[in-house]
Amino acid sequence: MNIKNTIKTPSTVLGMLMILLLATPIAGLSSTVPDPTQQMKPFVNKMTKILAEADVKNDSQCSICQRLIDISRERFDYNEMSKRVLGKAWRKLSKEEKENFVDLFTELLQYAYVGKIQNYAGQSIEFTGQRIKGKRAEVKTELVDNNKTIPVSYIMLLEGDQWMVYDVVVEGVSLIRNYMEQFREILRKEQYSGLVKQIEKKVKELQDERAQRIAKQQQ
Amino acid sequence: MRHYSRSISLFFVVCGLLFTLAQPCFSADGDAVDFLSDDFYEDETASIETDDPLESFNRAMFQLNDTTYTYVFNPVAEGYSKVVPPDIRGVVWNFFRNLEEPVRFINCLLQGRISDAGTVFVRFLINTTGGVAGLGNPAGREFGFKRVEATLGETMATWGIGDGLYLVVPFYGPSTLRDFTGTVIDGFGMTPYYTFTDDLGVMAGIYLGKETNKLSMSLGEYEEFKKLSFDPYVALRNGYFQYRKKLRDHSVPNDGE
Repeated sequence: MNIKNTIKTPSTVLGMLMILLLATPIAGLSSTVPDPTQQMKPFVNKMTKILAEADVKNDSQCSICQRLIDISRERFDYNEMSKRVLGKAWRKLSKEEKENFVDLFTELLQYAYVGKIQNYAGQSIEFTGQRIKGKRAEVKTELVDNNKTIPVSYIMLLEGDQWMVYDVVVEGVSLIRNYMEQFREILRKEQYSGLVKQIEKKVKELQDERAQRIAKQQQ
Repeated sequence: MRHYSRSISLFFVVCGLLFTLAQPCFSADGDAVDFLSDDFYEDETASIETDDPLESFNRAMFQLNDTTYTYVFNPVAEGYSKVVPPDIRGVVWNFFRNLEEPVRFINCLLQGRISDAGTVFVRFLINTTGGVAGLGNPAGREFGFKRVEATLGETMATWGIGDGLYLVVPFYGPSTLRDFTGTVIDGFGMTPYYTFTDDLGVMAGIYLGKETNKLSMSLGEYEEFKKLSFDPYVALRNGYFQYRKKLRDHSVPNDGE
């Protein structure tokens, strides 16, 4: 079919343009960016609910940790976190090394983050605002304890229609940036293999410490 | 007052000397960091690493502080927290904070933050009267006047004075040359509870009481932080600069009343 046949007159072209012009804002509206707070809320509720119901006292192996990590994957992008925390070093890793690192770093974060919210299970978490800048968003929350309020922000990236967390900022201190600076020094002195060893050691320490703490509570 | 006023002036002379010596001033308070700008993570040249020429000294001081914290300050604060209920500790904290408000007011003015200065002024008025000499915080709780932070260190920063260098101060913690100088002047020069007395022992007592009370409200946090760090020294240094940046970002109001 010839194009000339379909677009017969200038007025048709004009009409098509008009439709296009009219349609653009409508299309823009229908594909609005999803609301990060609305996506974050049910997730946080789910996590705190699991924590509140968990039988932490008899869970020295931290089976709840695995469950929480599995669920957290729906909102936490551990791949993105690993990429950011390593910076330039990430690009030098092989595919397999990358996968290993993500698993290891996820395990570390499970203690850093899960441990943190575990202390506050049952305390109220308030959503205090959000900020969107292109494909990134910050969802602000406050952990309210009896005598103080701890601001916790989730930094998110829009992937498809889902906002995924790639950094957690507690009282202005970014977890990823803090680890990034520590890792950088280790990478400089001991290279990547040294870093992996150190993270493995730290995870082991945290596991043992947790098991001991729970054993003490059981007595 | 005479015998230690000499040591104070000596301190300033030393600070002055260090300022001139520490020429390559790094600027840790450049533009406010926006977590939503990506370059922050990918740009290796925009490093978050800070100039730390005194690292070996600082590490030694960090170790000293860590030890005294673990064996002295923390047990004391823990004991204190068992005796004094949380709401009383909150009241003590309010009281000291309120006494420091005039210092913040002056610093706000010196930084040209006129509206913040107004907030501090109103908070001081309300809390001193309605809050019974600053024991309560009705300005924050009832009237929504949020806390304002302003120190001489920040004032000097707005005037273009660089940090000098990162400094871990014995028995005090992470700071920078500029900020710690500011802290000392803020403390000695303007804070009223030190001028009530000229007995160094009483002053130290007040300071220790205030700090013990403050610490009793965040017990266990330092241990938790240390447990999760690979190099607590680096982690604290990084955390200090990040936290300070947040305190000095006045585009967003303070969290908490």
